[in-house]
Amino acid sequence: MVDVATLAVNSVIISALYALVAIGFTLIFGVGGVLNLSHGATITLGAFAAYYASGGIVEAGVGGAVLAAIVVPALFSAVVYKGLIERIQDQPIMVMILTLVVAIAVEQVFLVAEGTQPKSIPSLLDGTVALGGSKFQTNLLVVFALSWVIIAALFYTINNTETGKAILATSMTTKGAALVGIESDRVNLYTWVVAGALAGVAGLFLGSFQTANFAMGRGPLMLSFAIVVIGGIGSVKGSLVGAYVIGTAEVLTGAVSTRLTGLVPLLLLILVLLVKPEGLFGRELAE
Amino acid sequence: MSADATATRGLVGLLDPRRYGLRHQVGAVGLVLLALAPYLVPTVWVRNLTIALFFAMFAMSWDVVSGYTGQISFGHAFFFAIGGYSSALLNLELGLPPVVTVPVAVVVTVVAGLLVGVPALRLRGPYFSLVTLVAPTILLNVFILFSDTFGGELGLDSPAPILSFDDLAVTLVANYYLAFALFVGILAVLLAVTRSDAGAVFTAIREDEDAVAASGLNPAKFKVFAFALSAAVGGLAGAVFVHTPIGNPNPSQLLALTVSIEVIIAAILGGMGTIVGAAVAGIFLRLFQLYLGTVEYVVPVLDTAVADVDLLLFSLVTLVLLFALPGGIVRWAVHGGGAALDNIRGRDAATDGGRDPPDRDALAAVRESWREDVAAMQAHVPRTEPGGDGPAGGDHR
Repeated sequence: MVDVATLAVNSVIISALYALVAIGFTLIFGVGGVLNLSHGATITLGAFAAYYASGGIVEAGVGGAVLAAIVVPALFSAVVYKGLIERIQDQPIMVMILTLVVAIAVEQVFLVAEGTQPKSIPSLLDGTVALGGSKFQTNLLVVFALSWVIIAALFYTINNTETGKAILATSMTTKGAALVGIESDRVNLYTWVVAGALAGVAGLFLGSFQTANFAMGRGPLMLSFAIVVIGGIGSVKGSLVGAYVIGTAEVLTGAVSTRLTGLVPLLLLILVLLVKPEGLFGRELAE
Repeated sequence: MSADATATRGLVGLLDPRRYGLRHQVGAVGLVLLALAPYLVPTVWVRNLTIALFFAMFAMSWDVVSGYTGQISFGHAFFFAIGGYSSALLNLELGLPPVVTVPVAVVVTVVAGLLVGVPALRLRGPYFSLVTLVAPTILLNVFILFSDTFGGELGLDSPAPILSFDDLAVTLVANYYLAFALFVGILAVLLAVTRSDAGAVFTAIREDEDAVAASGLNPAKFKVFAFALSAAVGGLAGAVFVHTPIGNPNPSQLLALTVSIEVIIAAILGGMGTIVGAAVAGIFLRLFQLYLGTVEYVVPVLDTAVADVDLLLFSLVTLVLLFALPGGIVRWAVHGGGAALDNIRGRDAATDGGRDPPDRDALAAVRESWREDVAAMQAHVPRTEPGGDGPAGGDHR
């Protein structure tokens, strides 16, 4: 039986998770002007890093899993940026294709190493909590709370620290930022590392209440397109709003028919692109 | 090669291989080898070559819109699937023969391509790529949603074959030649279009769309034309593909994200905006992939056979090649080979990067002689040299 409270809580929780993914994606685009199509693979990497750290290879407990899910994808992201993207970042087409191939390679590594069988990642906290008459896994609530803590921390960092302000400045105009002494390459590296860590955490969360498999990053990648386009590519606030629009739409259509869930966000994306391509909070791309 | 001295008017001159540049001669030899391939390679490779030819057609279809106009489509599988599925459905549901269903499928694909393309081409850069990336995903979701009609993730049954004989080997060879004929036809059409003035406008759009608009040409018109042409070619290849023994109307062969991406990889590795590059790299890439799938060699440390990690190896090789040769293999070979030849022959490069004296290949000579004829007719000047051996390099304006 579908009841409204469960739907509401589910959509609020899943949307927070999508926001984590989409913010990383939009940061890289807003600052570097490149679409990072390996973002989905970074999610997969985070989930598998957590899996390996929590019993797959070493027994490091939940703490170790969280640490691995942050550090490994962040490092991976840094290596992809430094090794591949930095040299060709002014050619958007090559960036899109190279990151796409990187994504395929990462997926294939996990497919070869682990097969198609889904892997389970331990919950952050076991047990259930009663809320508004229905029961929820504590894990889901922890995921929700942590997502918002991370998002809030990110907002604070971007708006109030020097590094954050440098990131904002570079996203507005690279030339202007360079004039006041901001190294755009270093700022780009920061954003790739932050985006990698965010995606890794999202992978851990996704894996902890669903499962981890080699192709788990594809869905969130597609969704983050929809989210960042609706919110306006490059706008962090827009991604947050977009994540809630898409997350809610997905949960609601899922209640009507699970076969429709994949379709609705994409149709929303097309609609927004055709009617208002710059999104809700977007601005015209500056040269 | 003194083209001026031996210039022959008309098509005969165009078809004389002795007057081609070296790269065109290499291309002609390649086509002849492909035509003789069934007599040169074992039967299983005839099958693989047929698959590779279809893949090359897909890659060429991508190149004409994305390689030339620079509007990078990430979802060309959309066209292949619409072509293949509509032809298969018409055949399976209505019992129409492939002769009818294939042309209808091409029309359906063009219409579907225009439905997506006309609104999408208003968007620029990554936004256009996003829409094209999403289009096949939506189509796949629709196929899964209406599984009764479209067969969901498993696809449809095989429709009626175009060419089928009792002997399997004969069938394979016959279908190879079907694919080869289609390949040559598509190659010829796309080369003709992209080497025409329209092709020059496509390239100009890629370089600077605003400049094209400023010079009084409507970029949208040319982009839509390229998109429709690409849809027609992709739909045609997809439609014929499902009527051969090697192809079936299912998502993994026609619609999956990997199909779209492999096509892009092939076209970029070959050299974007060359058509020939897409064709060559498409053939070799698919053959390489099929070959990897058969290698039994066990990698020592990983303890897995090469055949099991073929896609991983494929993506890694692609990554290295893309990174090392971003301009594409064909372009690299043509430039490198041309420079090497010039060194041997002692010709210098002109200051503007061209050749000194400027190149005049056979095609340019024919085009010039045609222009002269047209100019002569327009001016109502009676032709003074009715023969076929006038000086093509004369003082025309």
